[in-house]
Amino acid sequence: MYIFLCEDTLDGIFTGVYDAWASRYGHNNVALTTQVLDNYSLFDEYIPVQTDYEKSAKVARTLKKRMGEEVYGELCHAASAQEEDPPKKHSLNKADAIYKTIVLALSLPDSSKVLQYLGEPYVNRVFSLSRRTGNEAHHLLGFLRFQELENGILFAKISPKHHVLPFLGEHFSDRLPQENFMIYDETHHLAVLHPKGKGFFITDTQDLDSEMLQRFSSKEQEYQKLWCSFFENIAIEARKNPKLQNQNLPKRFQKNIVEFR
Amino acid sequence: MNLQMNMDLMEKLNILSAAAKYDVACTSSGVDRKGGGKGIGNAIAPGICHTFSADGRCVSLLKILFTNECIFNCAYCLNNRDSDVKRAAFTPDEICMITMEFYRRNYIEGLFLSSGIMVSPDYTMDLIYQTIWKLRTVHHFHGYIHVKSIPGADPVLVEKTGFLADRMSINLELPTSESLRRLAPCKSRSTILKPMRQIQNRITDNKQELTVYHKAPRFVPAGQSTQMIIGATPENDFQIMSVAEGLYQKFYLKRVFYSAFVNVNGNSLLPALPGGPPLLREHRLYQADWLLRYYHFQVSELLSEDRPDFNIFLDPKCDWALRHLEYFPVEINQASYQTLLRVPGIGYKSAERIVKARKRNSLTFEDLKKMGVVLKRALYFITCSGKMMYRTKLEEDYICQNLMRDKTQIPRDIREGGYRQLSFFDKELHADFQLTDSQILSP
Repeated sequence: MYIFLCEDTLDGIFTGVYDAWASRYGHNNVALTTQVLDNYSLFDEYIPVQTDYEKSAKVARTLKKRMGEEVYGELCHAASAQEEDPPKKHSLNKADAIYKTIVLALSLPDSSKVLQYLGEPYVNRVFSLSRRTGNEAHHLLGFLRFQELENGILFAKISPKHHVLPFLGEHFSDRLPQENFMIYDETHHLAVLHPKGKGFFITDTQDLDSEMLQRFSSKEQEYQKLWCSFFENIAIEARKNPKLQNQNLPKRFQKNIVEFR
Repeated sequence: MNLQMNMDLMEKLNILSAAAKYDVACTSSGVDRKGGGKGIGNAIAPGICHTFSADGRCVSLLKILFTNECIFNCAYCLNNRDSDVKRAAFTPDEICMITMEFYRRNYIEGLFLSSGIMVSPDYTMDLIYQTIWKLRTVHHFHGYIHVKSIPGADPVLVEKTGFLADRMSINLELPTSESLRRLAPCKSRSTILKPMRQIQNRITDNKQELTVYHKAPRFVPAGQSTQMIIGATPENDFQIMSVAEGLYQKFYLKRVFYSAFVNVNGNSLLPALPGGPPLLREHRLYQADWLLRYYHFQVSELLSEDRPDFNIFLDPKCDWALRHLEYFPVEINQASYQTLLRVPGIGYKSAERIVKARKRNSLTFEDLKKMGVVLKRALYFITCSGKMMYRTKLEEDYICQNLMRDKTQIPRDIREGGYRQLSFFDKELHADFQLTDSQILSP
């Protein structure tokens, strides 16, 4: 077995897919993994994958063309998922699941139907990983809170499990095109930056000016207070139900939400 | 009238949000709209929940009343003209400012604007119209707007408002016209159903306009909804669900909401409810409502004159299945989509997944579990490749006992409240109402 070791990013995995395919070892003789291995087995050959944006872009283009935007989106969600640590027994690594799903898809007369075949373990894996990321991203579309800084920039901090930042960037750029905003992902040390009237980009946050992020605009406090009192008032006393509240809005999100602080 | 001038914004917001909280709908679903690079806001079809209030309900929209001043005297309402509460009114500009600033900070998905009736229905409706006109055209707000239509308002105003809003709703309030007459003498079936019909017809026309010219202005693109109060009057579940079914079929409503009655002003016409609002009953009605909308069930299959109320111990689908064991067990790898929909523990999404996935591989119980089927409920009713999951009996009593051991049959929050709603199902509460179709739905 030839095992391709790829970086745990969308581009890393897609480069792995490209290399594994181009290697011509045969689909049954290759596997992909994003894991950093402690033990190497004797009879497998390990091939490190150098992330290459050109290769990744080629893969992305093919996938979009053959499977359609929707399936492509699901694959991206799956690739952005954070896997269980340590990995569960018998669970497929996401890179391998994605590779095998792509192989199956391209062998079908209609590749866009590939995610229907949930009886295949690797399709099922892609489906469940994609759902995890998708759910978290969807939650954060609502649970993310911006604060207005002194210089008019809207700033939000999130602590997601999965790499959801690109999906949030896309959503909020469409929603707030005329705002300068920044979404800081504490877990992955990355941030979305969106300058007014332009597209967004993702950057790492080594030289983030944390002092600047503490200086809020003069109105900020006032709107937070208004919102918090709305939040108090909208609950019906006779139906009070903190358990249901926590079930719907898990505690791990609450620390970044103004009305729960 | 003790409407106070110069009240500060915080106080107004406190009064007018507290006054709006008994409106159930807070959904922001049903419309997809891209931002388009100018102005602010977009909308996505599944809707987005922004927070959950202390009662566990989703908060998606800034739900406020324009004013809680009211000339009507509905017995169940906190804001009726006779009740002694502090009154307030926003100005259109204030609402615009709060909406815009909350929306920028991603607190909300949009605005839900309702109102008490100030001066006259037309006067109030016009204020609502002005407010959302400003939001849409002055502030270029493209987020979600849900507007309540005021009963008795001029149809022209309703139409103009509908071209700016995403969803409109008019509350049916009570399931029968008899109850409405008793508790809300200023409202009548016709002032509620007429505008509902008007909006429905306009939506239908608009769909045709849009096929001819896809840039035509859109009228209430997310459809209309309504709300009924549950437990303030003696109607049984059969009557309530029949009304809901009529509304879905004859008025094409997107949603009917059910609101467990909370006695807010101790009116003597209304039940006292010492055990709290009838939450379990409300829960069963919502479950049945989903069966109507997504599972091709009809009310006549779930309830009848002889069995007018839902089983409180089992959800309506399990209850139906137990009474129709002749349809079971169902073979997962062969049964039609419609048949799968009827199996307890299989939702409409998993049914869809099953039908697609089994084309390639025959499915096992393990596969079903991964697809989201709730096996602890489904296992009594299904086979995979001819085998049941465990050795079970296809007997009503046996399955019923096992299903009732499943604690999720009654949601945790209600269960831990100690079944306090049970008193609500007492027979004497149900007076004899004969409900004819004409009585329910003739405008």
